[in-house]
Amino acid sequence: MGLEKLKELDPIYQKPYDPTLAEKLYNPERPMENRITDIGPPYFWQFMPPIVQKNFGKWKSHVIIQPGVIKRVSETGDTIYVVRCGTPRLETTDYIREICEIADKYCDGYVRWTTRNNVEFVVDSEEKLRGLLEDLKNRKHPNGSYKFPIGGTGAGVSNIVHTQGWIHCHTPAIDASGIVKALMDELFEYFGSHKLPAKTKLALACCLNMCGAVHCSDIAIVGIHRKPPFVEDERLEHVCEIPLAIASCPLGAIRPATVEIDGKKKKTVRVNVERCMFCGNCYTMCPAMPLADGEGDCITIVVGGKVSNRITPPAFSRVVLSGIPNEPPRWPTTVKWVKHILEVYSKYAKKYERIGTWIKRIGWERFFELADIPFTEKTIDDYRLAYVSYRTTTQFKFTKHVKTKLEEYYIKK
Amino acid sequence: MTKEELKDKVYKAIEEKIKKGGKSKLNIKDIQRELPDINPRELKNLCNELVREGRLEYFSSGSTVMYGIPGMGIGVETAFKREEEE
Amino acid sequence: MSEIKKHDTPMVDELKKGPWPSFVDDIYTYAEKHKKQACFDIMGLLELSYIHKETHWKHGGIVGVFGYGGGVIGRYCDQQEKFPAIWAFHTLRVHQTGAKWYHTSALRKLCDMWDHRGSGIVNFHGSTGDIILLGTVTEQLEPIFFDLTHQLNWDLGGSGSNMRTPACCMGYSLCEWCLYDVQEMDYELSMAFQDELHRPAFPYKFKLKFSGCPLDCVAAVARADLSFIGIWRDNIRIDQEAVRAYVNGELPPNSGAFSDRDWGPFDIKKEVIDFCPTQCMYWDEKEQKLYINDQECNKCMHCIAVMPEALKPGTDTGVCILIGSKSVILEGAQLSTVLVPFIKTEPPYDEIKELVYKIWDHWMEVGKMRERVGELIQRIGLNRYLIDVLGIEPIPQHILMPRVDPYIFWREEEVPGGWTRDIVEFRKRHPA
Ligand code: HEM
Ligand code: HEM
Ligand code: SF4
Ligand code: SF4
Ligand code: SF4
Ligand code: SF4
Repeated sequence: MGLEKLKELDPIYQKPYDPTLAEKLYNPERPMENRITDIGPPYFWQFMPPIVQKNFGKWKSHVIIQPGVIKRVSETGDTIYVVRCGTPRLETTDYIREICEIADKYCDGYVRWTTRNNVEFVVDSEEKLRGLLEDLKNRKHPNGSYKFPIGGTGAGVSNIVHTQGWIHCHTPAIDASGIVKALMDELFEYFGSHKLPAKTKLALACCLNMCGAVHCSDIAIVGIHRKPPFVEDERLEHVCEIPLAIASCPLGAIRPATVEIDGKKKKTVRVNVERCMFCGNCYTMCPAMPLADGEGDCITIVVGGKVSNRITPPAFSRVVLSGIPNEPPRWPTTVKWVKHILEVYSKYAKKYERIGTWIKRIGWERFFELADIPFTEKTIDDYRLAYVSYRTTTQFKFTKHVKTKLEEYYIKK
Repeated sequence: MTKEELKDKVYKAIEEKIKKGGKSKLNIKDIQRELPDINPRELKNLCNELVREGRLEYFSSGSTVMYGIPGMGIGVETAFKREEEE
Repeated sequence: MSEIKKHDTPMVDELKKGPWPSFVDDIYTYAEKHKKQACFDIMGLLELSYIHKETHWKHGGIVGVFGYGGGVIGRYCDQQEKFPAIWAFHTLRVHQTGAKWYHTSALRKLCDMWDHRGSGIVNFHGSTGDIILLGTVTEQLEPIFFDLTHQLNWDLGGSGSNMRTPACCMGYSLCEWCLYDVQEMDYELSMAFQDELHRPAFPYKFKLKFSGCPLDCVAAVARADLSFIGIWRDNIRIDQEAVRAYVNGELPPNSGAFSDRDWGPFDIKKEVIDFCPTQCMYWDEKEQKLYINDQECNKCMHCIAVMPEALKPGTDTGVCILIGSKSVILEGAQLSTVLVPFIKTEPPYDEIKELVYKIWDHWMEVGKMRERVGELIQRIGLNRYLIDVLGIEPIPQHILMPRVDPYIFWREEEVPGGWTRDIVEFRKRHPA
């Protein structure tokens, strides 16, 4: 199990790819023949540039000399420049090859990605840095978008962590890559600059499974289904196993049923719609229970989460807007709201305050007022542990929401 | 019991459960319930070995993995092929 | 090769505009160059989704290659007639390297393989960490795996109820704040748990994430069942000269992270001292000297991040292990909670591997289907979990605050005299 922990580049990568080898090795009749398993990923050390190997664990300090460019200095006296570029995450092998071409030209073939879908090129001289920056700036797609926008550092908006959406998943309420593209186009200036009060991390998840870490982001977008699944009585017993469909529901909202269609008894299921939280797990197991609904599905915006321990502890994001329409191809309402929240934050927060820290200081009531977000009952928690989010103190602010007469508090008919 | 006997025991328990239960794919907890005397870690190792031998197969429920017997119930792709015929 | 069929995609084409890299331009350019029907079809399908505002994918039962219960996600399109090239469009998760470093020779070879056997579309990277190869047919899964293992010395990542692919921050490779070797620990544990990574073992998924310091760049605290975060326990190292340089405006605060806005001159009191959550810092204006009461510091990293040239974490470093974070499904979102506040550890981290097995054995035994470890701990209580399951001594670092209610479930053996009492004796004192 496992290969040698290679400190030098594995010579196997020097051999060209042989497109015919697998068919010679793999024998469907005897699937274990020639099978190699459990070797894990290549050992990371072989893929780090020599200057990084030499200064591993010896870095002394760093300065962001311009947005997207980090100068790192080592105890050994070595200096490197790290250039960070945004990528769309959804890309082709030709795009990866272009990254390889750049890495070969300036970085002796070494390159890395960040957790937030940025790619980083490491060079060891200012001269190479200048060449690299110039080169990156001029690489564009046919319709003019930058292939490698430089930024993602410091007090700006870093690249969006996101999920698959309509490109690949079976339960999304919304697309992912398309919304991210529309949003980053609009926030482009914040990616390549340091003018916000602190680092701002955005995320997107296309359904409530939230494959991305949206629950702890400064601002995040979540796709929401709002209708229970269909139950196609006619097809159901032919395409899925009923006990599996029942077991798939995390809330136990599905029970077996029998119906009569054209005089024939058919086994099927019924969904207790009161209990359904529209998660799509049943559709995963049973293709006769589709969930998507172009008309009903919507977008929710959550804000104020973080994972860093800096100043304040990690915190969850909170729902501030729900029911935003799902608007391909450029999602103008969602984009407008995210940008608006970002700019209100930018205007009022103190230096070093993340969105959540800022809101904690000014109070959520003030946030709703400053951001001019209509407050609705949808933002009041009624799920598990909801009570801890209710206000159990007379400490609040007199925003426009507070009235003076009891009757003014009643909902107007 | 030898390992082979244990594997047979696991296989039989799964086969029986599938035959009477109406669902052809079991998750690890279902199997554990049938065989409470076998330590869970050992049990999953036995199941995984049965998969390597081709006697069991895995089946994805989206976020978890279930065990089935090849040829019994929905196959990993048959749900889709069957639709084509309709 | 048969005729390539292109589709009209006016809505999707809208995403060619604007400055941010356009995946649409990228995919179309690639499709034209390589004459890939699958790429034209995926754009056509996306257009259809933009019109219907609904997904057109279905889930499939496939989980992996032979003998693997993870690493592949089965996908089928519900538009077989219109888009035959992507009728089956499965994903493979390829285990990324520590801190996501690569050499182009390996990447190019991977690309050549994927051009040959798949759609040519990838994600660098999926949100768990893997490289994602997006889109191939069932017949290609085994050959891809053989290519990966025989020609690239590379393995698949995890999915389903397996251990998921671990991930770490850039660590020692680039970051001066890193406090333990995240890449090595990531690799060591990935290798130790290959079986759990590739084959189902658990009631649900299990994730490991490694961040080098409390800034937690991989979001370990929010999305790992076991989160490893670097921390130090001695004093912050202070270079007073450099502190003065910040105060005098000779060095840019926070490494220049605020360069594009005029925040006024640097004010150490306002920007560092007042933000310190424990109020354990003092700037002596007269002496021009910074004092830190390190015993009270809770290692939030703020002062260090503001004045990196002047302040550095201590040198007595180790790892904090936290347990149980997860997203909202099902019992509500949870952050990881401190399990072991600090340990010093060295490769091969055998004591950590043992701890992981202890956690797994218990979870496999009593965990319900689809119950994450964090939910299990909530169900039985952190106190019982620590003592009965792991045999760990409870300490104040395990909690933020003590319980409110006094409804403690005392156990018989803890109460003097036990629970068996003599009613006759009782009645002697209390006639009925
Ligand atoms: C106040 C909070 C934070 C500060 C001050 C901070 C600061 C930094 C710094 C200084 C670096 C490394 C130096 C550099 O490359 O510029 C960095 C890298 C990074 N940070 Fe943070 N960070 C914070 C929070 C977060 C959070 C919450 C996340 C993720 C959710 C995150 C994700 C990242 C990522 C992905 C990198 C690149 C490192 C890698 O690829 O491994 N950071 N951050
Ligand atoms: C109960 C919760 C979850 C369920 C049911 C779920 C289900 C799924 C499904 C069905 C996919 C396939 C998407 C596709 O490629 O077609 C997927 C992808 C993925 N999920 Fe999850 N997921 C859950 C939570 C999470 C969380 C919390 C994370 C990470 C922190 C995560 C990480 C991923 C990653 C990395 C992918 C690959 C695609 C991507 O990056 O978008 N998942 N998940
Ligand atoms: S968030 Fe939901 S829809 Fe999006 S990729 Fe994950 S499971 Fe699929
Ligand atoms: S959508 Fe989710 S909650 Fe609703 S019935 Fe299906 S599995 Fe249950
Ligand atoms: S978590 Fe800490 S050590 Fe790791 S990259 Fe972020 S700042 Fe550096
Ligand atoms: S690390 Fe945080 S708590 Fe410690 S001295 Fe600095 S600002 Fe204060």
